[in-house]
Amino acid sequence: MTAPAKTPASRTVIETRGLTKRFQGLVSVNNVSFAIAENETLGVIGPNGAGKTTLVNMISGTLTPSEGEVIFDGARINDVPAFRRAHLGIARTFQVMKPFPGMTVLENVAVGALFGRDGGVKSMAQARESAREWLEFTGLGKRIGVGADSLGGPDRKRLEFAKALAMKPRLLLLDEVMAGLNPVEVDEVVDLIKSIRGQGLAMLVIEHVVKAIRSLSDRVMVLHHGEKIADDDPTTVLEDPRVIEAYLGKRRT
Amino acid sequence: MVLAQILLNGVLLGGLYGLMALGMALVWGVLNIVNLSHGALIMVGGYVVYYLFTLAGIDPFLALPIAMAVMFSLGFALQWGLLNLVVRSKMLNTLLITFGLDVVLTFTAQLLFSADFRTINPSYAGANFAIGGLTVPTVRLAAFGVAVGLATGIWVLLNKLPLGRAIRATAQNLTAARLYGVNPRMLYAVTFGIGAALAGAAGGLYGMISNLTPYIGASLTAKSFVIAIIGGLANPFNVILGGIFVGVAEAVTALYIGPTYTDVISFGLLVAVLVLRPSRAVRAA
Amino acid sequence: MKTRTLILAAAVAVALAFVPMFGSDVMIQFGINALVLAVLAQSWNILGGFGGYVSFGNSVFYGLGTYGTAIAMTTYNLPFGVGLVIGVVLAMLGAALVGVPILRLRGPYFAIATLGLNGAMMAIFSNLPIAGTNIGLVLPLTRNDTMFYELSLALLVACTLTVFWISRSRYGMGLIAIREDEDAAGTMGVNATLYKVTALILASIFTAVAGGIHAYWSTFVDPASAFDSTLNVRMVIMCVFGGPGTVFGPVIGSFVLSTVYEVLAAQISTAAALLFGVVIVLAVIFMPRGLADIMRDRANFTLRYFIRNIRENRL
Ligand SMILES: Nc1ncnc2c1ncn2[C@@H]1O[C@H](COP(=O)(O)OP(=O)(O)O)[C@@H](O)[C@H]1O
Ligand SMILES: [Mg+2]
Repeated sequence: MTAPAKTPASRTVIETRGLTKRFQGLVSVNNVSFAIAENETLGVIGPNGAGKTTLVNMISGTLTPSEGEVIFDGARINDVPAFRRAHLGIARTFQVMKPFPGMTVLENVAVGALFGRDGGVKSMAQARESAREWLEFTGLGKRIGVGADSLGGPDRKRLEFAKALAMKPRLLLLDEVMAGLNPVEVDEVVDLIKSIRGQGLAMLVIEHVVKAIRSLSDRVMVLHHGEKIADDDPTTVLEDPRVIEAYLGKRRT
Repeated sequence: MVLAQILLNGVLLGGLYGLMALGMALVWGVLNIVNLSHGALIMVGGYVVYYLFTLAGIDPFLALPIAMAVMFSLGFALQWGLLNLVVRSKMLNTLLITFGLDVVLTFTAQLLFSADFRTINPSYAGANFAIGGLTVPTVRLAAFGVAVGLATGIWVLLNKLPLGRAIRATAQNLTAARLYGVNPRMLYAVTFGIGAALAGAAGGLYGMISNLTPYIGASLTAKSFVIAIIGGLANPFNVILGGIFVGVAEAVTALYIGPTYTDVISFGLLVAVLVLRPSRAVRAA
Repeated sequence: MKTRTLILAAAVAVALAFVPMFGSDVMIQFGINALVLAVLAQSWNILGGFGGYVSFGNSVFYGLGTYGTAIAMTTYNLPFGVGLVIGVVLAMLGAALVGVPILRLRGPYFAIATLGLNGAMMAIFSNLPIAGTNIGLVLPLTRNDTMFYELSLALLVACTLTVFWISRSRYGMGLIAIREDEDAAGTMGVNATLYKVTALILASIFTAVAGGIHAYWSTFVDPASAFDSTLNVRMVIMCVFGGPGTVFGPVIGSFVLSTVYEVLAAQISTAAALLFGVVIVLAVIFMPRGLADIMRDRANFTLRYFIRNIRENRL
């Protein structure tokens, strides 16, 4: 395993060992091991169906692994239910966006503040305040009062992002938050993500936009048919002929 | 010997239970509607056969196809006129509307047919024969046969006929179905109609074996639901097997614990089945 | 919520408290029944309206409250208040025992699992000697309709205040998040099992007190009246008609429907029950968010509103 070269002293936040998920016959994730340290961003790329979302699901607790271990902060969390993982500081966005449709945008984000890391804040006023701040931050400040189901695609992505941030995570799992955005919007989101780095936050960013991955990631991991075929610094990975064949090459044609 | 007889009774009754659940499983699997009025449709089917027999003098087994046609029309109309208006809404709303339908059907039946007990009582109702020391009630055996026959029919329909292919395509994916040139509104109505027709047949048979009142719907809905879960939504024969399982469990309970407790047991069974097969229960949320 | 609405609600509650001073006996009796039903609908609202879990089994809490009170007062000669407490404890235990396994179930699975509850409880109580088996129990007679009326009203106020608190609390946000998307709520840190079970227990408390009050008032309890499955029909319909997940919707819904029912039942009782079914079918189609959604914004009371509701959900 490649250790994060830049910050050798920093602590590992999340680690997986031999993580495997089978659906009936199909192996979606096969024996994947990796680690992310504090302040580190791991980019994850791979063709559709490679198992990226399944990997995130196992870390966030939406799915239980068939084999292998998920280790957060040195403790095995395979059997910890999703809500408790949120309390530990794991937050995620959903590729298939899941806003609470019957709530306003503000309320959606307030849920994150109320229930996130360490069980969140207890006061509604405080939660609203913090939700408002995150909405400003993600550029949704003007849409606070509208129903979440009336947001368009890009704004839904921003809402997913704000909901996860409001949980004050230590590990943030971003599943294709830039899909469907235009280049200008992609740049905005890249800047947003850059601005939340630091303060110990570990991030896993799944993305197809190579430019974004290159500029965000400290390391890049490539999944192909559920297996990890590369895990190294962005330049090395993105020029690896196997990666180009498995993934990048196909996308260019 | 007593146990063997009890088991036989359970199996024969269970076949009918399976038929009750078949229509519910079909509608649930294809339309994603858990039809809480399914038991009430069984009840209405029972009354249709009852009146065909008492008023028109038609043999109840011959009346079954007529009742199925009547129930098909009713089911088609309900889906076309009412349920199609809410199918895309939350599960909560489809549950509530079919619950409302259950109430409407029940009390309409009470107004039209009164609350008195009715039994469909042809001359051969009490006939039976003996095999190896066991008594086989003819009507129950015939009901079992009808149930298996109809399950076979549904299997053929779903797996061998173009209509069945269209139904299964719709169950998979509504938009894909549109691309095939299937009109989903029509197809939904036909599917619900078939479900109601199966309920009608089950009701007619039930009326020959047990009492009809306007109020039997709710418990039959619950029973059908348990069986649909045990048997799954995909294969008609598994649904019949699920029915047999419940029939035997009830018969054994009545023998060893007491008949007043069958309600408690079937509730316990329901919860046990649901809790032991959580993946299924969670998926349909 | 607008301050005006709250002031209006408080004024209505105070006005209702004076009804026994002016109303006829018949009116007070109608009032007691309507208030008790409103409590049932409002309690159902906690898990059903806010949490999105449709229970067809809340009548068992009513039955447990009824029997707890009746057994305490008849067999053990305990005062009414103690009886109520026993009924409530029974109901809470019942809610916890039933809730933990079946609240793991989602959507229709949960709803149907609750369908069997009432029948199962009725069978158990019909066989319990302490509950008078299927003959039932006769409670000491107290002719004081005014007291029962005021008790029921106080209970409804308490229940509505609880729901009001829920609607503005962290707890309520958790329940609503579960209703909107339980998986997403879980990954955001909501302990769904805990929230659902406590919601059911909360509902069981008010429902059981309502049962106890009604038992003492009617002085007679048997399995059929205590575990009356039509109560489930009524509480669900009243809540859904009025506006599930709102503070005043269930109360308004039950007052309106109780009145309609009373008028109709005087004529033909089956038709009145039938009407309930028709109301729920029409309500789901035309106003899936209930009466409260229309009253919140009178601009909604247009043909276009109803047509839009259909457009959203039809095939
Ligand atoms: N719940 C599930 N049941 C069955 N198969 C699944 C499930 N989730 C994912 N898969 C399968 O696992 C594979 C990986 O999917 P996914 O993790 O979503 O890929 P990616 O996010 O990389 O596009 C796919 O073949 C997908 O069909
Ligand atoms: Mg994915």
